[in-house]
Amino acid sequence: MKLPFFHNPAKASDGREGGASDNPGLPLMGGQIVPGVTDTTRPDETRDESFLTPEPEADARGAPAAQRVPAVTAASGTAGPTKIMARDVSVFYGEKQALYDVSLDIPDKTVTALIGPSGCGKSTFLRTMNRMNDTIQGCRVTGRIEMDGNDINTKAIDPVLLRAQVGMVFQKPNPFPKTIYENVAYGPKIHGLTTNKTELDGVVEASLKRAGLWEEVADRLHSAGTGLSGGQQQRLVIARAIAVNPEVILMDEPCSALDPIATAKIEELIDELRERYCIVIVTHSMAQAARVSQRTAFFHMGRLVETGNTEEIFTNPRERRTLDYITGRFG
Amino acid sequence: MIWLFLPVLIALSALAFFGGREIASRRAGASAIKAHSRPSQHGYYALIWVGVPALVVLLAAAIFSGPIEQSVMQAGAPDSIAQLEPFRRDAFFNDARLVSAGQQPHQIWPQALAEQLTQEARRYGDLSRLLSLGCIVGALVAATLGGLFVYTRISPTLRARNRVEGWIGGVLFTCSVVAVLTTLGIVFSLLWDSLRFFQSVPIAEFLFGTQWSPQIAIRADQVGSTGAFGAVPLFAGTFLIMLIAMLVAAPIGLFSAIYLSEYASRTSRAVFKPILEILAGVPTVVYGFFAALTVGPAFREAFNGLGALMVGGPLDGLGQYLMLVQNQMALVAGAVMGIMLIPFVSSLSDDIINAVPQSLRDGSYAMGATKSETVKRVLLPAALPGIAGALLLAMSRAIGETMIVTMAAGLAANLTLNPLDTVTTVTVQIVTLLTGDQEFDSPKTLAAFGLGLTLFLVTLLLNIVAQRIVQKYREQYD
Ligand SMILES: Nc1ncnc2c1ncn2[C@@H]1O[C@H](COP(=O)(O)OP(=O)(O)O)[C@@H](O)[C@H]1O
Ligand SMILES: [Mg+2]
Repeated sequence: MKLPFFHNPAKASDGREGGASDNPGLPLMGGQIVPGVTDTTRPDETRDESFLTPEPEADARGAPAAQRVPAVTAASGTAGPTKIMARDVSVFYGEKQALYDVSLDIPDKTVTALIGPSGCGKSTFLRTMNRMNDTIQGCRVTGRIEMDGNDINTKAIDPVLLRAQVGMVFQKPNPFPKTIYENVAYGPKIHGLTTNKTELDGVVEASLKRAGLWEEVADRLHSAGTGLSGGQQQRLVIARAIAVNPEVILMDEPCSALDPIATAKIEELIDELRERYCIVIVTHSMAQAARVSQRTAFFHMGRLVETGNTEEIFTNPRERRTLDYITGRFG
Repeated sequence: MIWLFLPVLIALSALAFFGGREIASRRAGASAIKAHSRPSQHGYYALIWVGVPALVVLLAAAIFSGPIEQSVMQAGAPDSIAQLEPFRRDAFFNDARLVSAGQQPHQIWPQALAEQLTQEARRYGDLSRLLSLGCIVGALVAATLGGLFVYTRISPTLRARNRVEGWIGGVLFTCSVVAVLTTLGIVFSLLWDSLRFFQSVPIAEFLFGTQWSPQIAIRADQVGSTGAFGAVPLFAGTFLIMLIAMLVAAPIGLFSAIYLSEYASRTSRAVFKPILEILAGVPTVVYGFFAALTVGPAFREAFNGLGALMVGGPLDGLGQYLMLVQNQMALVAGAVMGIMLIPFVSSLSDDIINAVPQSLRDGSYAMGATKSETVKRVLLPAALPGIAGALLLAMSRAIGETMIVTMAAGLAANLTLNPLDTVTTVTVQIVTLLTGDQEFDSPKTLAAFGLGLTLFLVTLLLNIVAQRIVQKYREQYD
């Protein structure tokens, strides 16, 4: 199943609503980040917490607050048309509503960051996009989610096939207790994407290369995937997701279990993957959102408060709550 | 008799507790030093020192007063009684005790002895009163000494809290030592009697002999020469029944565990899980008569009917054989034992599959795998070591299971792997060797210990290996 490519320029009126055509140019590459800037900001991730500590004197939307906002260093601007369109999405866990009428456009070939205090429904929203909520008992999704213009919640869509198209990376690296090779070959095997061993070898190698892991594991493809370091495991899991050739990659706090160096590697990787995939990343680190994402959506108490280009959200948010959150006043 | 003193002892201990507490708080109040322990901890300390010595005296009295009475009575008995045969003398003293307690004697004694009886009964009564009194006095003295000791000890610097802690640790330790020692005792007696058995029957013959007919070996000089103690048919029977049981229990138990942990909705899980637990609690003797009275006859009739259809046809020989199949066969015992093991296998496997982290399931589903693909390619490989351990534990239970096979497998020690044949198992033979009137040290009886030891070693080995595997597996996901 391949959903037809969807392109709807009419929707893209306002960049802040997730427009598709506000940046019609070529995808911006990772190389466009000024190297010096990247280098000086990377060490920041060790100081995320202190960075977010509120300073008592400044409480208005003035210059002092702006100083506390992480500097946006990610390449700016969306690169592709709308890939996923959510309209009035609500999610219920049993009686309890976790998400209220979320409408959001997610552009292709762009990193979209979902931020917000914990429990605000970021993961829940992420799971609506590959219908992983189906696997949770008592979970009910209402509203409309379109991928390339096709509703993904209709009977005609097989969630199993949808998930092959929408890869997902979790908070805790979860390689299967198999070899590195078998981990990456898992998807191609269950979906029958390759016909022989040579092809499979090729897919495994290409995926590992794209995930930036090939150099480190080429000589031990047949040792246990669980034996790798946390950062390597997370890249292995990304390679596993890439191997089925998805169009979208969802990442749920992919770096929160990793050390700063491994985090930097994953962030670099995300920036590279942006060329090919539509990436949605949940992060609790404001600094990370500023480093890797072009678009940011701020969630609070199950509602989407504000969305727009990362630069704008971080320098000139429209909502008071957004400012309070990104300056670390709550969360 | 002396147990009537127990309430007094309890009252004394309570008194010690309150007294100790009171004294401790007074002394702490009078002292400039800050007390190390709280008054009630001193109270417990006093309680221990008053209660425990007295209790020890009572226990000693309960254990030793009987023998002491016995020997004093016998030593002081008049000649006419001392000359009686031992068993009549015991009966006489027994009656004397009854009479002294105001009951009727069991026997009617001849005139001379009957007179003696009333006399002895009186002496008996005096003696036991004296002993009880001594014991109570002893307990009181012990309690008083303990109380005095505590009285001198209680002070703000006494670490009563830590001492009480030490006593509690000591009591807990004693309990665990009792558990370990009794187990060790059983193992050693098993070893000891097996050694005696292997003195009369060579180990090699026991382990490799193919003839088992202990009933022949009534006379000691026949043992060994008749070759009646070859246990191979028993091992084969045990193995055959275990195999059949595992063939039933392993797939059904495992698959139901997979259903419960992966497929079942919360409501059906809430129904199935308790039912399986109830099944696990059915006494094996119930499975036993279910096998003997229901399953056995049903299988026999089915096979006999099938045989009747075949007779005269091209499979005449097989038909003839099937028509002669009896109630008691390995298949019935094995199948029913398998049913008994299903809840066991299923609940162990369910635990193990549930211990596989949810993140692996999520990972697999997020790759677009279906449920069965996830089970087959991720969960089972991940849970395999644990499941293997669970199956080994089930095997060990199958081998040690007694009731079902006693009722359904039969007694004939046939060396066969034919599930329709009557076979017998190690446990069944132990039961038959030891029930009924037996001379305790004939090789026939001792053979039970040899079998018991073998069984113990095999199940011990299985359990150790299984526990190891399961534990390793648990650590892997901690
Ligand atoms: N499986 C679940 N069952 C019931 N409630 C859930 C479940 N998952 C999440 N929730 C609830 O939904 C809300 C949003 O959770 P989540 O999406 O995980 O938040 P976030 O990822 O932003 O921290 C929370 O209140 C949480 O308690
Ligand atoms: Mg979350």
